[in-house]
Amino acid sequence: MNAIDISGLCKQFKGKKMTRVDALKNLDLQIVPGEVFGYLGPNGAGKSTTIKCLMGLIRPTAGTATIMGEPVGSVASRTKVGFLPENPAFYDYLSAEEYLRFVGKTFRMPEALLSRRTDETLKLLELWDARKRPMRGYSKGMVQRVGLAQTMIHDPDLYILDEPMSGLDPIGRALVKEIILDLKKRGKSVFFSTHITDDVEKVCDRVGVIVKGQLEALDSVENIVRKGIEGYIVQTRLGQGEHDSLKGFNITRRNETFVEYFVPVAGFNEFIALAGHHSVEVTLVETKRKDLESFFLEIVRKGNS
Amino acid sequence: MLNIMAISLKGIFRDRIFQGIMGLAVLFLFIPSAASLSMRQVTELSITLSLSLISFIMLLLAVFLGATSIWKDIERRYTYSILSLPLSRTAYLLGRFLGIALFMLLTALFLGGVAMLAIKVASVLYPPARPVLWIAVLASILYGTLKYILLVAVSMLLATVSTSFFLPVFGTICTYLAGSITQQVYDYLHTPAAVKAISPIMKQAALFFYYLLPNLSAFDLKVNAIYALPLNASGLLMTALYFIVYTSVLLAAGAILLGRREMK
Amino acid sequence: MNRVLRPSVVMLLSLACYGVLLGPFCAYMKQKPVEEKLGYVPSATLLRYLATDQKEFVAASLVMKTVMYYGGIAEKQQTNVVVAPPDLPAMSRLLHGAVKLDPYNMDAYYFAQSFLTWDAKQYKLANNLMDYGMKYRTWDWYLPFFAGFNSAYFLKDYSAAARYYQKAGELSGSDLSRLLAGRYLQESGQTGLAIAYLTVMEKGETNEAMKRNYHIRLTAFREVHRIEVARDRFKEAKGIVPTTVEQLILGGFLVPPPVDPYGGTFYLEPDGKVATTSKFAFAGVKNEKRQHTGE
Ligand SMILES: Nc1ncnc2c1ncn2[C@@H]1O[C@H](COP(=O)(O)OP(=O)(O)OP(=O)(O)O)[C@@H](O)[C@H]1O
Ligand SMILES: [Mg+2]
Repeated sequence: MNAIDISGLCKQFKGKKMTRVDALKNLDLQIVPGEVFGYLGPNGAGKSTTIKCLMGLIRPTAGTATIMGEPVGSVASRTKVGFLPENPAFYDYLSAEEYLRFVGKTFRMPEALLSRRTDETLKLLELWDARKRPMRGYSKGMVQRVGLAQTMIHDPDLYILDEPMSGLDPIGRALVKEIILDLKKRGKSVFFSTHITDDVEKVCDRVGVIVKGQLEALDSVENIVRKGIEGYIVQTRLGQGEHDSLKGFNITRRNETFVEYFVPVAGFNEFIALAGHHSVEVTLVETKRKDLESFFLEIVRKGNS
Repeated sequence: MLNIMAISLKGIFRDRIFQGIMGLAVLFLFIPSAASLSMRQVTELSITLSLSLISFIMLLLAVFLGATSIWKDIERRYTYSILSLPLSRTAYLLGRFLGIALFMLLTALFLGGVAMLAIKVASVLYPPARPVLWIAVLASILYGTLKYILLVAVSMLLATVSTSFFLPVFGTICTYLAGSITQQVYDYLHTPAAVKAISPIMKQAALFFYYLLPNLSAFDLKVNAIYALPLNASGLLMTALYFIVYTSVLLAAGAILLGRREMK
Repeated sequence: MNRVLRPSVVMLLSLACYGVLLGPFCAYMKQKPVEEKLGYVPSATLLRYLATDQKEFVAASLVMKTVMYYGGIAEKQQTNVVVAPPDLPAMSRLLHGAVKLDPYNMDAYYFAQSFLTWDAKQYKLANNLMDYGMKYRTWDWYLPFFAGFNSAYFLKDYSAAARYYQKAGELSGSDLSRLLAGRYLQESGQTGLAIAYLTVMEKGETNEAMKRNYHIRLTAFREVHRIEVARDRFKEAKGIVPTTVEQLILGGFLVPPPVDPYGGTFYLEPDGKVATTSKFAFAGVKNEKRQHTGE
């Protein structure tokens, strides 16, 4: 059973004056248990729309989706999920502690466990000192932390997070990454949307890129990284051997002591052979690959055209 | 559901609404002296003033608490976090409703207590011709509360479909005004003068509204309380049943509409 | 600095303007025509729809409004300030509206009775109102008591009066009304009837202006009674009917001389009845004065 199973999901928003927005077009997506999935896409791509459909906040125009085998929209589908909305807002007259307790009670947590988990999560997200203050007085990042805390309080099997890093300082971001990695270690599934490719690369097993409501790419991070290798940067020392023999390769940099060549994957063996033959000393080899960012940009560009 | 109810109640108290009510309750202190202006019915006037003041406060509460609760949750995007919990929308609506209803009951209890004190003072200072019928005073306060709780259900129903604050607020006020007079209109329609003057279509339309709108005049027992007129037990029972059935219909309709509503 | 200074200056200026305006504004409000002060009351039917579930409150406020309006004028009259007489028809309209809203409101009946009779001379209207009230206030002996007095004293309908007094007696459980019925239901008992009625009214009154009103009227009637007694004694002693009050005073039948609290002078009508130039009302004196000065 998949943690999330989306098939043929469509969502059309009807605006005033008969304007229609196709926010999702025939989306198919499966998240397996224990997987950390990064959901990438430019602004207005349909990430939040997908997530709102999953949480039963809006009804899909067509298609079906299930969470842990339960059809979305049902109460049962939400029992094993921790959900963080985009730019969350919580009853601001409550304190963080009260809100967490409220969420825990809604998930029918036993009292002793609830108290323990409340304290743990508050400490984990560094909300301990502010826990008694009403959330009305919280900063944006603090509210975001409360949002994260309320997804974790009941220790669900699946996390659905809409932009979990938004509004957080670098320490907070690092903390979230750490938390997600920890969840992965404990076999939990995480589905999160983001714009920040760097985060994805560090924590995700798989990524999906959605552009204009369509899933344009879906692959494991490993594959993307491997496919992204364009060549190597090879550094040689000057003043030894015949550098002229390497004229066929592009020089990317040179100074008095070193020359750097760009060597495509296909030409690497030839380069090494030539260098060996002409006594050129290779001092450093670095793989040059497209990072996820450019991978992402490329797909977006393709999707937009 | 109880969870939501508790949170709602907490929210109302945290908004200092009860403090506001306690402030207004100071007005009860002036009731005995204001009522002493009456020539022949000081106690009766103090009951009138007390019940009217309670009614007025409860009306304000019903309109604003009922109209703002769901509307504010949607407007401030609290619904994203609340409705994504394992909680049906029906339970959410009921929880919100019960929270407000409970608050109204507590308020009625508090104001009723203060009012009874004021009435007692007036009746000791200026003994009435007929002794105060306390049970009628209590019944009047209780049924008044039921009436305003029903109005809360009306405003919540309107809030489930509305994207703005105005429909629930003004819709509830209009329902209150219309609901208070439907019985009079109905009675008028059955007078010989009206039978002649009013076209059958108009009459049908009026009858339609008579059956559609809540009949709020049934809940008005002020006259019994003020003039110590005996209560009609079966009438009270009927009115209580009417309250339960009508409120259930409103809440069910609200639940259906909220269930269909998209939290965009 | 500027952030506080500027608004403060504006506020001070506004406050000064308010102070300047307040005087003329209050003066204007004070001299507003009576009709405006008493207010226009929409038809009772319309008011019943508008009052929603606050009918009793609206009724009570209509009554209060009328009482205060009347009280203000009565107080001035009692201290001999010349004011326009109260607009009795408007007051009656207001009270009728009030009992349409709340047919149980005793203040409305009571107050209507107090001015519809002597002041407005609308005896029939007063009794219709009492009849309407009796349908609702089934326990209240005051309403038949009022109606009985009106019937006997003003309308001279003694059989109706007897019926009303009978009812009042039954409801009150006291003999007062029945006594009244027996003793005074005849032309000659008018003054006694009025004194008995006014004594009951004065005793039960809590409103100061109203109480003084009753007191003044009661004093006047006691004076009338004194004159009547003197007149009868004069007749007995001298064998002739006196024609002036002065005769009674000079003859020593009336010590001290009678004083009309309404400011008029008592005189004897040709048939021997005691009357006064004030007609038992403050307005009466003024009208007389007006006539004298040819206004
Ligand atoms: N309530 C709505 N009514 C009409 N159109 C909407 C509504 N909500 C979203 N859309 C449209 O649906 C599309 C997808 O929006 P969505 O919020 O899912 O984007 P997103 O991927 O979450 O973007 P972002 O990165 O900015 O959060 C957008 O074109 C948006 O204009
Ligand atoms: Mg989004």
